[in-house]
Amino acid sequence: MTKTALIIEDDDDLSTIFAEAVRAAGYEPEIIRDGEVARARLANTQPDVVVLDLHLPHVAGTSLLSQIRADPRLAGIRVVVATADPRMAEITRPQADIVLIKPISFSLLRDLTVRLSTSGGKQTGSG
Amino acid sequence: MKLIKGLFDISSTDPDDARRLKLLNVLLSGVAVIVMLGILAIAISSLFASEVSSRSGVLYVSSFGTLASIVIIFLIGRYWSGQLASFLFLLLLTAVAPLTDQPQQVVNGRSLFVFTIPILMASVLLRPYASFIVASISGLIVTVIALSIHLAPNSPAILGFFAIALVSWLSARSLEQALVDVRTINRELDQRVIDRTRELYDALTREHAEASKNQAILESIADGVIVFDSQGQAIVANPAVGRLLDQTSDEIIRYRIERLMDGKVTAAVREQIVGLLQNEEAHHSNMRFEWGEKTLSASFAPVYADKNTPIGTVAVFRDFTREAEVERMKSDFVSMVSHELRTPLNAILGYAEILLEAVYGSLADRQRGVVARIMTNTKRLLSLVNDLLDQAQIEVGRLAFTITSFTPNELVEGAHSLMLGVAQAKDLRLTYEVAEDVPPTLSGDPQRLHQILVNLVNNAIKFTEHGTIHVRIYRPDADHWALAVSDTGAGIAPEAQLHIFEPFWQAEETATRSHAGVGLGLSIVKKLVDLMRGEIALTSELGHGSTFTITLPLTLMQEEMK
Repeated sequence: MTKTALIIEDDDDLSTIFAEAVRAAGYEPEIIRDGEVARARLANTQPDVVVLDLHLPHVAGTSLLSQIRADPRLAGIRVVVATADPRMAEITRPQADIVLIKPISFSLLRDLTVRLSTSGGKQTGSG
Repeated sequence: MKLIKGLFDISSTDPDDARRLKLLNVLLSGVAVIVMLGILAIAISSLFASEVSSRSGVLYVSSFGTLASIVIIFLIGRYWSGQLASFLFLLLLTAVAPLTDQPQQVVNGRSLFVFTIPILMASVLLRPYASFIVASISGLIVTVIALSIHLAPNSPAILGFFAIALVSWLSARSLEQALVDVRTINRELDQRVIDRTRELYDALTREHAEASKNQAILESIADGVIVFDSQGQAIVANPAVGRLLDQTSDEIIRYRIERLMDGKVTAAVREQIVGLLQNEEAHHSNMRFEWGEKTLSASFAPVYADKNTPIGTVAVFRDFTREAEVERMKSDFVSMVSHELRTPLNAILGYAEILLEAVYGSLADRQRGVVARIMTNTKRLLSLVNDLLDQAQIEVGRLAFTITSFTPNELVEGAHSLMLGVAQAKDLRLTYEVAEDVPPTLSGDPQRLHQILVNLVNNAIKFTEHGTIHVRIYRPDADHWALAVSDTGAGIAPEAQLHIFEPFWQAEETATRSHAGVGLGLSIVKKLVDLMRGEIALTSELGHGSTFTITLPLTLMQEEMK
């Protein structure tokens, strides 16, 4: 069965690049560009990886992160936080598997996602 | 009384004349009173006498004659000539004297003395030498009377008259001389008093003018000025500072600075200002702070009584609200633009990488070359944008630090892996070492330290054509750790070393296309290191490479970095 990745990012280009990166890492990406839509989608899907932007329309990325961590059904999900704000990066670090600070390179995201699928442990690297 | 005063009033301006005339008037009055008493005595005695004697008739006539003469002399003295009046009075006395007794007694007996009275008076009523004139007249009268009653002239008495005149002359002369001296001294004293009074008046006028000039200058200065004494009490405040601090100048002088700051400033600012005022030697400093709704800048400087004794502090306040607002707007604008620029740059980089990684099929070599160049240039643009953003945040003091613990090895390895490709592209070696006595974890902001290290390494690569870039972490002493980046490049000229940490500065010969940048890298590094309570040092020699060394405290608390 193909692993799936949810790309939650409101910028068209960045979401496309992130999708290509996770696809290159062996995941089937699904792109969502709105916080509200993402919240609804998380209630009925169980992706392996979530690439999460923190600055989203309607619902903030941080509350989506809390929602994921509070849901036992989504316990095994790997979350990669992508943000431009170093302070937000520090705040979300305890809840995220990986925190990346924009700009985020295609190859870095690809390589890290590959490692996520092979290793079971939590990654602590930063951008 | 008024009438008497009017009668004796002397109009002469010569003090000697006035004195003599006054004396004459007193004598005239005295004689007049005596004559009137005489007339009264004759009248009373004739009441008791049985018959009117012819002698009392003569007495009446002579008494009234004398009285009339006195009045005439008085009028002459008053309206014509004091000297003539005095002379007539003396003549009157001298003429009347022999009539008061029998001729024998006048020439040789008891009444000789009456002549001495006008002789003595003459020296004070007229001139001192007038005694001799009166003595001569008296001598003449005595001789004439003596001859008329067939007696020999009384030579001893005449000589006596002249002796008395001599004594009188001498005493009157010395009296007048003394008066002249006293008057001279008085005049000098008066002149001195006038001079001193004028000097004092001039000095007061000058001082007043000086003081009002200073006051006017102080009051028209647009900046707020307060002078504090060494106890931190305001002693001078101009109206501008009242407007700035929303207080009247009187309130500022009445209350201590601590009370003026109540509810207006933050605790940190309050502490800083009080500290500046207490430490008299340490303040030639400038600070900016929020005062209520306003932003103020203040500079503090010690006031010295002489070269070494500070007596207080002068603080100059300026309204910085508008400038601060403009700076904030500028910074917000730069931040916004930078963020907006970074997102598309990130997309360009991502797409270029997708092409380069052959996600959409492999590229021909020339196509790969072009895409690689797109990436290199985009990265350059991105780092410029990042520098501008940092500079903008530093300018408004908004640069944030997040203090966590980190491992020094991860710090150097992160920078090494990021920059290795860049170094290798120029055939340079990039090496690193972490000294053994460096603790396994350090405290600081790893993001910012990474930024600093990458900046320094990037700089070293830029200016080195051959050799090695070496990064070293070590402990210079017990309380610090250091980060050193050495290169084998061209080195930096001493004059350039002075400016190298200034924003936008670039050595002219280095500002070539290959070294393109906005010249912010090192100034940002310096500012970041300052904010981390660290120091940056440069050692360099032309032709022998450069070493940038950053020294930071081992323990660093989050609140220290605010």
